Amino acid sequence: MAERASILSRTIATPVILGLLLTAIALLALLMGSGPFNQTIIDIFIRVILVVGLYIFIGNSGVISFGHIGFTCLGAYMTAWLTIPPPMKKMALPGLPGFVLEAKLPFWVGVPAAAIFAALIAFFFGKILMRLSGIAASIATFAMLALINQIYSNWEDVTGATSSVVGIPINRSIWPYFVATLVAVAIGYAYSISRSGLALRAARDEATAAAASGVDIPKERLRAFVISAFVMGGGGALYAHSVGVVTPDTFYLGLTFISLSMLVVGGMGSLSGAVIGVVLLSTIIQILRLFEKGVALGDTVLTIPNGVQEIAIGVIMIVILMRRPAGLIGNREVGWKGFRKA
Amino acid sequence: MAQKLAADMVSVAFEGLRALSNVTLEIPAGRVTGLIGPNGAGKTTCVNVLTGFQKPSMGRVMLDGLDISGLPAHRVRQTGIARTFQSGRLFADLTVHENLEVTGVGLGLSRREASLKADALLDWIGISALSDRLAGGLPYTDERRVAIGRALMLEPAFLLLDEPAAGMSAEEADELSRLIHRITDEVKCGVLLIEHNIGLVLKTCHSIYVLDSGEIIEFGTPDAIKASEKVRHAYMGTQADAEGEIL
Ligand SMILES: Nc1ncnc2c1ncn2[C@@H]1O[C@H](COP(=O)(O)OP(=O)(O)OP(=O)(O)O)[C@@H](O)[C@H]1O
Ligand SMILES: [Mg+2]
Repeated sequence: MAERASILSRTIATPVILGLLLTAIALLALLMGSGPFNQTIIDIFIRVILVVGLYIFIGNSGVISFGHIGFTCLGAYMTAWLTIPPPMKKMALPGLPGFVLEAKLPFWVGVPAAAIFAALIAFFFGKILMRLSGIAASIATFAMLALINQIYSNWEDVTGATSSVVGIPINRSIWPYFVATLVAVAIGYAYSISRSGLALRAARDEATAAAASGVDIPKERLRAFVISAFVMGGGGALYAHSVGVVTPDTFYLGLTFISLSMLVVGGMGSLSGAVIGVVLLSTIIQILRLFEKGVALGDTVLTIPNGVQEIAIGVIMIVILMRRPAGLIGNREVGWKGFRKA
Repeated sequence: MAQKLAADMVSVAFEGLRALSNVTLEIPAGRVTGLIGPNGAGKTTCVNVLTGFQKPSMGRVMLDGLDISGLPAHRVRQTGIARTFQSGRLFADLTVHENLEVTGVGLGLSRREASLKADALLDWIGISALSDRLAGGLPYTDERRVAIGRALMLEPAFLLLDEPAAGMSAEEADELSRLIHRITDEVKCGVLLIEHNIGLVLKTCHSIYVLDSGEIIEFGTPDAIKASEKVRHAYMGTQADAEGEIL
């Protein structure tokens, strides 16, 4: 009997290749050098973080969560609370506790704090929600999203209710976003090869048999839920620092829909699918946007009507899902020799 | 290692339907105990009760002196009571090797330790060649053997097999019988064998319980069961000729 290679050495190619892909994107931004293009790349990185966050829970557990963008909201506001200059906070958000009002923490403290805060809240929600399965679990996560959205839309002197919270220090360098994306991919990878990841994928395939194999399903689900909320919260904080403004409705149905779509189109059960789905769809969206603004081809300027981009992306998603119901990558992961079964 | 798994006056009712009535049975370590009975007799329900998937309406499940009736299924497995399912229920998107690894992880091993155990066990059963195949695409017989392997990880004290020979040819069933004896002899497991293939049960088991409409109607050695008028009657009554002929 030949000694089996360790799980790490069999699978490490996946995060390495995904890391190289992300590095290539970062270098592209560096080459282009222009401000707006930088912003585009930063958007892509943030999307990757959010979709990898979704993958950690949804991909491994098979439970569709409509609630994870709630954690993104929690993260975005948390970093806003911690990093907005105190004079502005005292005016806009007077209801914050004194020590928060006085705090002026840097970006690199705000983001991890936001991630931890989201994870903490996920722990409490998850304690209850993770006992549910299937559609009941999905609806409950949706209720959680609505709950978070309602609280943040109405708690005037802490969240500014529905008005924009401004003054979040903006960071326009791509590097922090790049590094955070690598970290998110590393977390996603580490979880998927962990004991908990394996146990959860077993429960996804056959919950009854997983229990009969000694797997405590609610406990493993809770782990994935908390870790994915950490990533989603961090992603939300990075979003806040990329644009400087947050409102509750930024983190509601629209973002939930697009993030879930990217995960499903890429391949729900695959980390590679999460990353490649985002990169591909984002690239298509950007190209279409470019055409909406008009592209000069020789003498003629090519323009497509506004709104075509949304329609085209919808059509593309439908076509991909019709051809490949399990998503572009399906359940597989990238390796040096193409794809392998995850 | 525990010496005896027992159901003590167990009853289960589903919305008025009595699936089990005052069932008392014992599964001793190191032996093969048979559980037979017509379709719908309550055999699977009995396994569900013994493994924590079904709470008894009355009665207790005892592991040696310990009442384990209230434990959830994953905790029951952790105390060393393993089972297979009538319908296979492999983790279809995982490899055969990972299917076994899951139990190792569920019982607290690291992935590395679980992986080593899984390799050794696949080898012991003689299905190493299947290691890296996806469990979803396996033929029926292999599926059964993988399910047994998954249940056998870390050498449980008791192994409950729910119709492991369904769909097997005569030779395959013989091979299964040999595997079950290796399990009692080398792993020292107590095995409960549920089967409609009565020939296999008579050949493999040391003693046999007969369940009919939720009640134990007979218990004895294979020879005694073969001779029992009550058993013959139960089978003839509910299941026409096919099973009657086998007896
Ligand atoms: N979850 C349930 N809810 C309601 N009734 C059930 C449930 N599970 C089993 N039953 C009923 O209990 C009775 C016993 O079922 P069980 O599956 O234990 O029989 P069995 O002996 O395993 O039959 P088979 O040989 O067909 O596998 C049947 O009448 C069945 O319909
Ligand atoms: Mg049955």
